[in-house]
Amino acid sequence: MENGIRIHLNFRKRLGDFILDVDCELEKKVSAFLGASGSGKSTLLNCISGTVSPDAGEIVFGDEMLYSSATGINLPPEKRRFGYVFQEGYLFPHLTVAQNIRYGQPKSRNSTTVIDILEISGLLQRYPKQLSGGQRQRVAIARALAMEPRMLLMDEPLASLDSTLKARIIPYLHHVKDAFDIPILYVTHAFSEILALADEAFLLSDGKLTANGEPHHLLTAPSAMPIAQLTGVENILSLPVMLSDKARGVTSLEIGSQQLVIPYTDADIDTLLPVAIRAEDIIISLAPDLPISARNILQGTIQKLDVVGERTLVSIHVEAHPLLVKITHEARAHLNLQVGSAVYCVIKANAINLLWR
Amino acid sequence: MRITPAEITALILSIKTALLSLIVMFPPGLFVGWLLVKRSFPGKAFLNTLVMLPLVLPPVVSGYLLLVLLGRHGLLGGFLFDVFGIELVFSEFAVVVALSVISFPLLVRGIMGGIQSVPSELENAARTLGASPVKVFWTITFPLALRGIIGGTILGFSKSLGEFGATIMVAGNIPGKTQTIALAIFNAVQLAEDATVYRLVFISTVVAFVALWLTERLTLR
Repeated sequence: MENGIRIHLNFRKRLGDFILDVDCELEKKVSAFLGASGSGKSTLLNCISGTVSPDAGEIVFGDEMLYSSATGINLPPEKRRFGYVFQEGYLFPHLTVAQNIRYGQPKSRNSTTVIDILEISGLLQRYPKQLSGGQRQRVAIARALAMEPRMLLMDEPLASLDSTLKARIIPYLHHVKDAFDIPILYVTHAFSEILALADEAFLLSDGKLTANGEPHHLLTAPSAMPIAQLTGVENILSLPVMLSDKARGVTSLEIGSQQLVIPYTDADIDTLLPVAIRAEDIIISLAPDLPISARNILQGTIQKLDVVGERTLVSIHVEAHPLLVKITHEARAHLNLQVGSAVYCVIKANAINLLWR
Repeated sequence: MRITPAEITALILSIKTALLSLIVMFPPGLFVGWLLVKRSFPGKAFLNTLVMLPLVLPPVVSGYLLLVLLGRHGLLGGFLFDVFGIELVFSEFAVVVALSVISFPLLVRGIMGGIQSVPSELENAARTLGASPVKVFWTITFPLALRGIIGGTILGFSKSLGEFGATIMVAGNIPGKTQTIALAIFNAVQLAEDATVYRLVFISTVVAFVALWLTERLTLR
């Protein structure tokens, strides 16, 4: 989805030993920045919101220069009109929910739309300390939207919530995305949130942008290896659904001309599902017809063998899809694995985790 | 216990001058407190030291310095006396000045503590919601710092009620004019008027206790 407004970010900010140095164009409706903690995500948003001043460079929103070290322009945050949703919410503790929402709202407007979309009409008279974590974040989003912002900045809005609550808030974010015609800039360390929401993702690593692209594509791009480190899973694949059979309890995904069977999930044919498989959960076999319970036996070719400490890391291509498998040196010797060997990857359906759908 | 009219006059004078100094010093106290917590500028440590100095200086010294400044031959006092014939010292005005200088550090400390307790993230959040720095101060910083501000106010007020050294230096000990409770007690002790001493000591202890207790109740959660 395009947003019609071009946002140009090209600036540097030093904080102690850390340097944030970014140069990118945001054109999609929801742009996401993915990075580990300490990668500069919050600093990036603070510079865009104007609460922190960069050291050099420029920030342009559409035709308007917000910050430019060359001309000395630095619009204060209250003039930028960017709604900012913080990880911790930062609701004003001495004001009720209704007063919090009204704080940035233009006079003579009402906030019924945001209150409806975020379903907080029952909370209006409460104080922030009387809210649960999920309610607090919904109010924080409503407060940022009630000011009628030109853009919405979200700094890990779900990070303080447990996974059940996260899953409940994400639909609200979808409603917001559909109901408000403004660009959204979303920052997180959780790739699943990016897959759920973003139109374009940027990878932020140690203050630098290292990769960008459409989220499903970025997932499998070689330049996006830090994603594997972030999620702690070596293999992340984005595969289309071939068939979903509730009666048999399985869903089949297309991996080249072969099939990957995972536990049943309710998904339409051809939708892309992101799945994660740990390198140590894959067994290498030299023969395809094994009398075993594992549902997936995928044919592939060894591309590379690397010694990593006590283990050998085997890179296998299953048609066009790369898979990393971790085995012992002894197993490698026993099977006499060589680059170019044809092998079979055996994977239990239960070892395959859905990242997000 | 019968309180004499002279004692009531001293009590009223004490409360009146303490309140006046509080009203006069509150706005600058708020500004200086905010400045010392929220801003960094050259000379910040110097300003902080200057504001806090009366806290550690013997009050008699502070009073003497005021006398040098405001007296008939002083820098400011001399000019006002020569040109307008106005005498600043040994008046109710001088009492208010002495109390203001002595209580200011306690007032500012309380205000600083209050402002420090307000997370700057909340103020930044308010800025992103379109509020100017002035609006942020009055709608976020001030209400959230209120406990500390009230605490500093009460502490400064109590300090004023009991002030002795600076007052006697710059305002003298004139019954009905500049004689506050503390000075009246000193007088009564000198004249061995035991009954007066007991009554005034009792009154000032009660006032100080109530003020301090209120501060603790407001600042401790």
